[in-house]
Order: sequence, then C-alpha cells, then structure tokens
Amino acid sequence: MIPSAFDYASPVSVAQAVGLLGERSLVLSGGTWAVPEMNRGEARPTVVVDLRRAGLNRITLSGGTVRIGTTCTYADLLASDVVARHLPLLRAMAAGITGGQQILNQGTLGGSVAAARPSSDALAVMVALGGRAVVASADGERRVKARDFFRGPRRTALGDRDLLVALEFPTAAGLRSGYVKLKHGQSSWPITTAAVLLGPLDGQGQAMVVLGALAGTPVVVGGIRADSPVTEVELATRQAVDSVSDLWTDVLAPADYRAAVAPVLAVRAWRKAAVPAEGRRS
Amino acid sequence: MSGTFAGRRQRKHNGGEYLTGQVRYTADLALPRMAHLALVRSPHAHARIAGVDARAAEAHATVVAVMTGAQAAEVSGPIPFLLDPAGLGGVNADVRCLAVDTVVYAGQPVAAVVAETPGDAAAAASLVQVHYEPLPAVLDCEEALADDAPIVHEGWASNVMLAGSFGPDDFATVAAEAGHVLAGELRIQRSSPTPMETRAYLADWDPVRNELTWYGTSQNPHPQRYVLATALRMDEHRIRVITPPAGGAFGLKMHGHPEETLVAVLSRELGRPVKWVESRAECLLQGGREQTHQFRVAYDDDGRVRALHDKFIADHGAMAAGAGWGMAFVGANSFPSGYDIQHCRVDYTITVTNKPPSVGMKPFGKDSAVLVLERVMDLVAAATGLDPGEVRRRNWITSAQFPYTASSGLVLDSGDYHGVLDQALDLIGYSRRRAEQETQRAAGRLVGIGIGFEMLPEGADVPASFVTAYDSATVRVDPSGHVTVLTGATSPGGGNDTAFAQIAADRLGAEPDQISVIQGDTAVCPYGTGNLSSRGLVVGGGAVALAADDVAAKVRAVAAGMLQADRAQVRLADGLALVGDDASRSVPLAVVAKSAYTLGYVFAPDIEPSLESTRTYMMPNVRHLPDELGRFSTYTTFSNAVHVCVVDVDPGTGVLQVLDQAIVHDCGTQVNPLFVEGQVRGGVVMGIGAALGESISYDADGRLASDGLKQYLLQRAIDLPPLAIGHQETPSPFSSLGAKGAGESGYSAAAAALLGAVNDALRPHGASVDALPLSPPRLLAALQQAAR
Repeated sequence: MIPSAFDYASPVSVAQAVGLLGERSLVLSGGTWAVPEMNRGEARPTVVVDLRRAGLNRITLSGGTVRIGTTCTYADLLASDVVARHLPLLRAMAAGITGGQQILNQGTLGGSVAAARPSSDALAVMVALGGRAVVASADGERRVKARDFFRGPRRTALGDRDLLVALEFPTAAGLRSGYVKLKHGQSSWPITTAAVLLGPLDGQGQAMVVLGALAGTPVVVGGIRADSPVTEVELATRQAVDSVSDLWTDVLAPADYRAAVAPVLAVRAWRKAAVPAEGRRS
Repeated sequence: MSGTFAGRRQRKHNGGEYLTGQVRYTADLALPRMAHLALVRSPHAHARIAGVDARAAEAHATVVAVMTGAQAAEVSGPIPFLLDPAGLGGVNADVRCLAVDTVVYAGQPVAAVVAETPGDAAAAASLVQVHYEPLPAVLDCEEALADDAPIVHEGWASNVMLAGSFGPDDFATVAAEAGHVLAGELRIQRSSPTPMETRAYLADWDPVRNELTWYGTSQNPHPQRYVLATALRMDEHRIRVITPPAGGAFGLKMHGHPEETLVAVLSRELGRPVKWVESRAECLLQGGREQTHQFRVAYDDDGRVRALHDKFIADHGAMAAGAGWGMAFVGANSFPSGYDIQHCRVDYTITVTNKPPSVGMKPFGKDSAVLVLERVMDLVAAATGLDPGEVRRRNWITSAQFPYTASSGLVLDSGDYHGVLDQALDLIGYSRRRAEQETQRAAGRLVGIGIGFEMLPEGADVPASFVTAYDSATVRVDPSGHVTVLTGATSPGGGNDTAFAQIAADRLGAEPDQISVIQGDTAVCPYGTGNLSSRGLVVGGGAVALAADDVAAKVRAVAAGMLQADRAQVRLADGLALVGDDASRSVPLAVVAKSAYTLGYVFAPDIEPSLESTRTYMMPNVRHLPDELGRFSTYTTFSNAVHVCVVDVDPGTGVLQVLDQAIVHDCGTQVNPLFVEGQVRGGVVMGIGAALGESISYDADGRLASDGLKQYLLQRAIDLPPLAIGHQETPSPFSSLGAKGAGESGYSAAAAALLGAVNDALRPHGASVDALPLSPPRLLAALQQAAR
C-alpha cells in the first residue's frame, strides 16, 4: 500500500511522456521495480508516468539492427522470432528471469536497463551484445552505448527529463553465445552472471565476456579472442575481477564470493558458447 | 483406533469454502466506522525517548488520533508473559504495547497513528517526530556477556535472562572410561516463521456496554482474552475473542505481541473499531532460533556414546511477553533426543541483546537438540569408520526400553526408531545410493548422503501458564439431527477441525462433511488453550471423543426405546440407529434426535433429554512433582522420524541441489494421514529452507536488513525434488486416540539430514561445515580453506 500521494499519467506518445518528466517523476514500464519501491516508501514521486500506452512495445529488425521498445516484456522477447534468430543471448537471459510467468509477462527489458540495479540480468547482456540506449528528450533523440550508459549502481546516462524509448542491438545472428547465472535458489536475484558472445566480431575474432552482478556496473573481460583456450579465459577473468574497485555486496552474498565464482561462471558460459566449435567438453 | 472416518485420508470438510475464496481471514474483516492503525517504530537499537511531537501527524488528512507510549501507559498495564523466565529463577522486564521512555530494539513500536485509511495512517506515521537519545547497543550475544557490555534492560545486573542445566555433571568421569573424546561446535542462525498470512488484529469496543470484541490472528483465543483483560485492566468476561481461520501460524501467533493490546486500547479510547495488518517487513522482525553450541562427546570403540556435554548460548534479542525464550529451555530439555545416553549434560544461557525479540517458532527449540545429536552421531561415524545409520542403531533407545526416562527427566512414551530407519533407507534406496556415490565421486562430483533423526517431545503442560495438556470440547446434536462440535483447541490452518469432524462422525454415525466444527470464539467454545505444542489433535480430539461418546450413549438409549431393543445392541452408522446389522430394525438419526427432545419421557425417561455434552480430556502422563533427581516431565507425546537426504554440491560455486529426500515419520495413530503428511511436507520445506539460506540479518546499527522475501529466501516448489514419505505407527500408550503430536514434525530431521549430507559431500576434500545456513558462500569457503 503506497503511503504517499501522487498523480498518475498515461501518455499516448513519446512527446507527451517527455513533457511530463521532472525531478520528482517516476517512469513506469512494467512496474516490477517501481511499484514495490513505492509500496515500501523508498520511492515517493509526485507523478508516475506510465509508458504502457505510448507505443513502445514493438520489436523490429531493420538494416541489421534489432530495435526493442522500452515496454516490451520478457514474454514479448521470448515470443519474438526476431529475438530468437538475431539475439539468442538475449533470449537465453530472458528465459531465466526469476519470478515465473507473472514477472515474464510484466517485467520489461527497458525498465531493467533504466533501473540499472547491479543485480539485474539485463545489464551485462546489453553490454555483451553491444547494445545502445535510444534516449528521447525535449532536444530530440540520441543514442548512448551500453558501456557509457551504465554509470554506477542505479545511475545511468538518463537525466531527470530523459526518456528511454528503445534499445538497439546489432544482429548477432551467426555468432555463438552462452549465458550463465548463479543464484541462491529459484526466488533469488542474480548473484553473479556471465554473458559470452563469440565469433568474428568486426572480423578480428574478438570475444565478449561480460560479468554482471559482480560490481556496480557490468565488468568487461579484456584480452581474450574467440580462439583463446579456456585457461586463458579463466586467467583473464581473474585479472579483470582483481582490477574491479567496486565489487558488489548485498545481503545474499559478499563481494569476495562473487569474485571467487566469476571466473568459474565465465568459463562455463564460454563452454556453452564454444560447444558447437569444440564439439565436446570434458 | 479405527472407525469409518478416523484413520482415513479425508479431504477438508469445508474445503470448498477455501477454494472458492469464501473464507474470511482477519485482514478481510470490516466493521462500520472502522479506523486503521499504523505504527511508528524505533530506528535505533537502543535509545531513550526524549519526546514525541505528533503535531504534523495529527494534521495529516483523515488522522483520528496519535497515541504515545506515555499515554498508553496511563490506560493500560504491562502485557502478561506467556512464559515468565522469573518463574525459573531468571529475570524479566515489563513489556508494554508502546515503548514509554526507552527503546531496546530497532523496530520497537513507539507511537500509534489511527486514520480513516491505511494509507493515511502510514503516511502520517512517517510525520511523527520522535526525539531519541541513542544509547550504546549490543547486537551479539557473546559481546553481551562481556563484563563491560551495555546492559539492555535497565535494572538488570547483566544481559543474562536465564541460565540453567539439565542432566548429571559427570562427563569427565565417564569420558575417562570410554576411551575416546571428540569435540565440536554448531552455530545456528536466526530465522523467521514467515506464515503466508501475517498478523492482523481488529478491536471493537462497545462504549455502551463497556465490552470488547477482539478479532485476531491468535493461536490461543481463551488465553488471549486473559492477556487482554490484564493489560486493559478490565474484567475478562467482558471480552469476546474471535480468531478467524488462519493462514498458518508456526508459533508466530502465540499471544504476547504489543499490537494485540494496542488495537484494543485505541478502540476503547476512540469508541470505534481499530484494525491493524502487519506488513511482511514487520513480520520479518519476528524471528529466533539463534544459538551457538559447543559440545564434547565420549564414546567407545564400538561407537557407543557414553557421555555428552553440550553448552549453548541463545541470543533472544530484547525481552518480550511471548514464548520466545522458552525455545532455548525446551531445546535443552530435549537432549539427548532419542538416544540412550544417560550421562547427558546441557548447560544453557539465554542472553538478551538489542535485536528484536525472539518469537516462539516451530519446532520450538527441539531442532537444536536434533541438530547437535545428529552432528554428534555423524562425527562418531566418521571417527570410527562406521556407517552413520549403524552408529545411530547402536545408540538409540530400543522399543523394549519404553517408557524411557531420559537424563533430562522426560519420560518418552513409545517408539521403534530402528523400524523407521529401516523403512527410510529402503525408501531412498540407500545401498544403491552409496554405490552410485562412489562413481559420482570418481567423476569429481560432490554428492553427499545424510541421515537425520528427530525425536520431538510434544503436548507440554507448563505449570502456572496457559500451555496445557488438556482441552475441552462440546458436542451437540440438535432436534434436526445436525451435529455441531465446538472446541477449545484451534487450528493454525493444519486441518484439525476436519479430524474432529471425523472423530465425532465415527461415534455418532454421521457424515464428516455434514458436521459443523466451530473453533476460535470464546463466547461459544468451551475453555481451551488453542493450538501450540502440537497438542490440538491429541487433547482436542480426545475431548471431542469423550463428548461425542456421551451424546452417542444418549442417542443409543433413545433409539433403543424406539426400536424396543437392548441399548447394548444399538449401533450408530450411516445416519441410522440400528439394532446390530439388521437394517430393517433401524431409525434415522434425525428422527431419534427429534424424539430425544420431544419424546424423552416416553423412550428414555432416565436420560437427561439434552443431546449435548462438554468434556475435558487430560493427558495422564504429566509429572509436575520432581522425581528423586529433582526432574520434571512436562511433555506427553513423543513423535519421531528419520529423513535421508541426497545432495550435490557444485565445487566451483558452493551451490547446493537437493537431489532426493525420503522421510519416514511416526506420530502414532493418525486420524487423518492426509493432514499429517501436509504437516510433514511443510515442516521439511521449512527445515531445508532454514538450513540452506533463510537468514535474518541486520545492519551495523541493528536495523533489519532482510526485510522482504527477496532477501529472506524461502524454498519454492521448484527448488526441491518430490518428497518420498512413508510412515510407521507406534501408538501412544497414554493418549486415548493413540495419536501423538505431528504439528512440529519434519523441520528438525530435514535440517539435520541436510547438514549431514553436506558434510558427507565435502568430506573427501577434507572440508566440513558446522554452521548454518549452508549458503553457497559458506560451502565454497569451506572447500577453499580445505584446499589450502
């Protein structure tokens, strides 16, 4: 039960939505973060801007770019042929979202990205896929790369009067991917995640290994290529973990645990991605 | 005991109401002019209250009143204790419905705000300005015992509420002869009962008649009435307590909470109904079970334990008026579980700290005795090379030894632990599992198998308290032949009401689904103590049986007159009174009932023409006079179970998966096996959850950090494998139904089996764990430490 008074708006266009934003507004996409926080009195906006009628729930493919509107739910992602074919890593992540059908039907990718909770699945996957946030404001529309978008725990490139309207991803069709998430039981939020994308990225045989829920923002593991042996992946991940200054801790697991499991998860995600090429794993 | 209905897997007699959403829980109730209560709670673990400024709150929309602790203290007294530690030589402190000049835990109610809507009350509560002067707080029980520790309760010489011991102090002597000694420790974390339905109370004061009707989630309606009368300084007979159907209790809802009294105080002051519904975060303030044990064991070459000495400290949190501290006492009293160890000594210390108070939670401390004993047996098995099941066999009380007087003084009634183990090992396929384990280990998997045995004393009678080993029931047949059963025992949602219908149905020849069972209304139900200590079915059912037998005797007498038969030949079955098996000489029960009331002088002039009886059943095996060693026996039934658990621990992450769980329980005669299994399943899930990760945590300032079900993780249906459940029936020789309490079953053995399985999984790596919860960080750390 929400203990504070607020106005509710349900704009039918992006322009209308942007016009409602301010210092004390709160944007609602699926509501799975916003509503519980309002219930607990942690968020006390004066106006709630509900995006669900603003036409932001479409998934389109155009010229090698997949565009996913902010209010697309995880269920929408799982039902989408475009996502299945072009962003299998995103689909794998969506399939493991905690909370069952109710959360899949209600939670949105855009909402998770805008909320930027370090424990969310969405952040590391967005970075791994080279995604960009499409941001609308009174000054028009701009695009922000994932790595620049996430600034810290719950902090993004979105200002008070900015609206996330979509996420864009280059097609990853033909690339190999693996996603592993560690959590303490079915109802737990992620403790540490590893997202791997392998293949000829930019024609240089690069590999993306991104760790989520490990630090305040996703951690990219550098220094590996698509043909790196697994031992190098593990070593590179350890080095990346050691250089992190803001390891995440919460009531479910301390920082040193996440640091210990991150290399293990990176290797497992790597193996999932690499299986077609290697043929078998020991 | 067998009958047409008792012993059967009967569905809830009123299940349709639940499935169709017709049941009214306390939070569903609404009365005209009802107002809503929100609480202002202390953000400090320890502080003086210098002043309360309610002006901003009072000015908020729809606020009716704000009450401070000082104001409440003018019109109410302290809340009487459910169990008073001073009665055992300990210390107590007054507990009131609102803190007056000091707060002793973060979350303690300080002021009350009443408004027309719950939202307005909550919003106004955040506007109440309380001026605190923080005091040094102590949040750890070992620190609380230090000489220079801040004292939690003013006037106490230390932070020890109560300390004591059970059993002979002869470990050293026996150890010298035994040959081997090992030592160990076990740390158990604080967890929380988390029923699906949180607490809720609705008080309705009638200013014309000066009477109170109080609706609430209380496990004990009649004792609750006494508690309210005492705290409100009014006559008990002017209070009616009604406890609507409950959505689970697990001990949380035993009386003594401040809000129970507070709603009544406010309703009386305002002359209108006042309602309060607990939030999940407030509910998670209630918890307990936090203990640290250190033990030493003396055993011989054959793995026979000769002596056990356990010392433990319990962290109770701040003082409360509920039953929380009793868990440490009962835990100590439950050693050495079902093992034949006469030289068993337990020393316990219950400390207070500036954390929220402990609340009584199933299985009320017996879990700690089980966890320690099962750990002991596994350690002895590891030291001697014996199979863990074999060690247990060698140490258990055998069937022939019952009734068995334990070192604690408890007299255990009956059991066949060896039989339960045989069945459990068969159910899990133990030999096959051990063979598979060798293969799995060779492949690098950490698979473990653990055995957990629980022996649970139930049905306590505590002198000078409302914890009783008796209860009462009224059985009534009206002129239409309808049967109504009214009991002093209540149900926390476990279904004893259906069992009572089955018992009455058998004796009166009626259909359980046609019987009305009324519980939880002090105006119409005979005096009883509700539900606690797993005694509802045993003594409540015993009382129903007595009362139903009385009424059945009268029905048979009248029917005999109508059928011109011998009273001894008349049977009641299938809605008829009949002579022997001769259906042609029968009369419907409805007709007999009507005749009893209108033709009594004709058919049975020697019988009082009222088809109603109220009887009280008392368990006969309570001993409140000390024996030659000064010991008491306050428990009346002793159920038991063996669980076998198979787990897989991920060596890279410490994440654990329960692969399989087999359970064989023995609660004596089962009146309704369906409900017993429901209790067992629930207990298992609760025990596994607590052992794996349910952990209440606080920040450095003593504020609750695990304040929601995303931080306090319960096991979900998809977390666990299907549970294989078997049962054995070793009836109680003392209870009239042969039944033993089953309400606390499952938790302890499941937690112990899990701990055993984890240690079995880790042993090849030289790692071990002796603290709960068995979280992935803890298991991984154990493996990493062993690897160094």
